[in-house]
Amino acid sequence: MQEPVFSYVPGASLLHKLDPRTKIAAVMLLGVLTFRIDNFAGIVALFVFFFALALLSGLPMKVFFRAVRPMMLFIFFIFLTQLFFTDGRALASYWVLKPSLEGLEKGFKLAARFILLLLFAALLTASTDPSAITCGIERMLRPLPLRWLGVSSFELATMMNISIAFLPLLFERVERTKAAQAARGIDFVKNPFHSVPALAIPLLRGVIRDAEELALAMESRGYQGSRRTSIHELSMQKSDWKALFILALFIILVLVL
Amino acid sequence: MIRLEKVSYSYPDGTPALEDLNLVIKKGEFIGVIGKNGSGKSTLALQLSGLLKPQTGRVMIREMDTRDPSKLSGIRKLVGIVFQNPETQFVGRTVEEDLAFGPENLCLPPVEIRKCVDLALAETGLEKYRHRSPKALSGGQGQCVALAGVLAMRPECLIFDEVTSMLDPKSGIAVLETIKKLHRKGKTIVYITHNLEELHDADRILIMEKGKMRLEGDPESVFSDVSLQTLGLSLPSLIELAENLKMHGIVIPWEKTSTPQSFAEEICRLFLKT
Repeated sequence: MQEPVFSYVPGASLLHKLDPRTKIAAVMLLGVLTFRIDNFAGIVALFVFFFALALLSGLPMKVFFRAVRPMMLFIFFIFLTQLFFTDGRALASYWVLKPSLEGLEKGFKLAARFILLLLFAALLTASTDPSAITCGIERMLRPLPLRWLGVSSFELATMMNISIAFLPLLFERVERTKAAQAARGIDFVKNPFHSVPALAIPLLRGVIRDAEELALAMESRGYQGSRRTSIHELSMQKSDWKALFILALFIILVLVL
Repeated sequence: MIRLEKVSYSYPDGTPALEDLNLVIKKGEFIGVIGKNGSGKSTLALQLSGLLKPQTGRVMIREMDTRDPSKLSGIRKLVGIVFQNPETQFVGRTVEEDLAFGPENLCLPPVEIRKCVDLALAETGLEKYRHRSPKALSGGQGQCVALAGVLAMRPECLIFDEVTSMLDPKSGIAVLETIKKLHRKGKTIVYITHNLEELHDADRILIMEKGKMRLEGDPESVFSDVSLQTLGLSLPSLIELAENLKMHGIVIPWEKTSTPQSFAEEICRLFLKT
């Protein structure tokens, strides 16, 4: 069975060993940088940086291509929009469409930015256990005054963890409900719109029941939404500070290019 | 260890689930609870674990009243509950993370959490599945993960609410054997089931009907009670066979009716004697 997109690939590389907070912060900074730079040299430097990190992670390249592939149509659409709807020196003329040189440049840059974002996100998720990511996010959010919004960083982290853990069960329930309704004569191919309530109502009922059972199980295991610890021991090591220092140098380099 | 004093509970539509129920569960006891659907067994399980509060009366767990919110954390450490469907009890992405959920809620340091997880894995024989997704395991193994998730909190009392009803017979027997092993190690067990056969080795059996306790006693006295049939419960096949043989003058001792093997051995022994 093919692994889902953005899934974790266990490993023992230097990148795998970094604290999740280092990697989350790095991806956030690189994401901002990707949309901040406006020259090809910077974009090329970001691609080179990504490939260097990918090599360091020891992960197979297909992991990253798999993350980009589903978005290619959307990225191509963005490229075409820029190509045809940006004013500038016309490259050719097809009916009302006039692709311009400036559009081509903008299209390439925007497409490259989206690809870079996906690649860096895939690098984070492939080299970090999902629960370590949520643990890292929780630790990063902890100093924020989230209580004013009526939530705590612990609740947010639990929500993220459970969403990840419950997705397969949800898909399984959809398939089971579909099969049960199909056995009763509902044709999901012929009448896709008429069959929506037949799928949605039992599905919703089932999901609510599952959620109630899960809430009860969580409560019985002492969950109160308040402070809790984690099996993942997070501590910034020398390698994390070194990684952040290299990242800072790279950002300065790209900005001066 | 747990004491129910005149506990009553009705569902929002007014249907009574428990009526004036009194019950004392001693430390280290294995109690079997049986009854038809709607008899109040699951409501009793929720009351015993402090997940549901009584509308009248009180539930005391080691002198901690379940109605007192300040005692909830202490109650969770003492009593754990395993439900029927293992899939809706999984919180973690891997078995290890799932088992860590309880100790994390108890705010234990990471080293302690790992110790709790390791112990729970060893007790349920799930060490090799540590990094697997609990959803990828079989029904029986999944139920063992749910049990290990509760065990990781080191509770003294474990409540099982129809834990074998969704499993194939072989997996059901394996889960029941794990529970019996825990009982031998000193855990207090409350085992709720539809199947009287699973309660042969219980210390005490409670039979419930319409939120009330109809019959209570050790398995031998409960199985021989004539009112069992009127409560809609059928005798375990080996007990029924022993009863039939008794009518023909062949007496099989109670302790030999627990497994087909011991039953067959006793028959052979009697046959050779004659």
